[in-house]
Amino acid sequence: MSNRILVVEDQEDNRQIIRDTLPATDYEIMEAESGEQALEAVAKQRPDLILMDIQLPGIDGYEATRRIKADPALRSIPIFAVTSYALSGEEQKARAAGCDEYVAKPYSPRQLLAKIRQYLS
Amino acid sequence: MSVRTRKPRQIELATTFADQAVIAIENVRLFDEIQDKSRQLEVASQHKSQFLANMSHELRTPLNAILGYTELMADGIYGELPEKTMGVLKRLESNGRHLLGLINDVLDLSKIEAGQLMLELTDYSLEDIAQTVRSTLEPLAADKKLAFKVEVAPKMPPGHGDGRRLTQVLINLVGNAIKFTDAGEVVIKASASDGSFHLSVRDSGPGISAADQAKLFQEFQQADNAITRKKGGTGLGLAISKRIVEMHGGKIWVESQVGQGSMFAFTVPVRVERQVEPV
Repeated sequence: MSNRILVVEDQEDNRQIIRDTLPATDYEIMEAESGEQALEAVAKQRPDLILMDIQLPGIDGYEATRRIKADPALRSIPIFAVTSYALSGEEQKARAAGCDEYVAKPYSPRQLLAKIRQYLS
Repeated sequence: MSVRTRKPRQIELATTFADQAVIAIENVRLFDEIQDKSRQLEVASQHKSQFLANMSHELRTPLNAILGYTELMADGIYGELPEKTMGVLKRLESNGRHLLGLINDVLDLSKIEAGQLMLELTDYSLEDIAQTVRSTLEPLAADKKLAFKVEVAPKMPPGHGDGRRLTQVLINLVGNAIKFTDAGEVVIKASASDGSFHLSVRDSGPGISAADQAKLFQEFQQADNAITRKKGGTGLGLAISKRIVEMHGGKIWVESQVGQGSMFAFTVPVRVERQVEPV
């Protein structure tokens, strides 16, 4: 059975990299390019895991995460913050918003896949 | 009382008071000016560090695509590749990683300058740090056929400080040792005594003259000779390391003689409860 992953990312190259990283046999990919689209997608088709870029047009990844984690029906969906903000304290901010994992860009696709597998085995 | 009736002494005093008043008024004006200037500087410095933070974000985003595609290609996601292409990909990746290191260095230094570098104080294990440094850099030493030794004293106490930043310092020192040593060995030693950790990195490289040693820990300075120009780097690594060690209330130094190799060492308190602000 394939797992559904929601990729929230406004950059086409980074979406493509994730598409190429996740084997199509194991994962079904849904995409959103903004925080608003992400919330819509989560409500409509409950994904099994969310990869959340932080800097997004409209509401940012932290706010989107807070809203998803505030919903008891969606709270259990693991959310990975994927961000190129490298300031110290960023990881705490991500965790405080409710993110389950923090992945700094540039990330290794191989390692990202390994981390996703830990959650969806 | 008219002017003519004043005694010379009174006049002298009045003049002195007047002079003092002028100086006091001028001082107030200067003080205001300085306050104003320092406010302007503070704002400018905040703008600068915000700019650098944004810049670093903007630089890292395309780098994610470059390094990501490179790894996917090397992993054969887009099909089998000829050996020659694999070699090129490795170089692409190592240059991309180098660029990332430079971006991180510039960002770190700008944070230090703006007083925004905050240590994240948690428990850490020096054994783990040594292990991370070993797994990160042993392959580089092996590439250059250097002996690579890590000697951690038994029964090290658990540390409290910013383990990630201390790892960065050690990686920087060991990375430099490997970079500048063409034959022989790089030896890392770690021990604890009198409430402090003692770490040293000794190499059998070319050594550093006394004049160059004095400049090493300053920003944008490298020992200025043909070797360092050939080996590259920003010259920021040691300046950043020094600040990180000092923020832990520790000390970092070098002992070296030309032709005799170098030893970089630092000590930090085993338990750091509070970040030490720069003087």
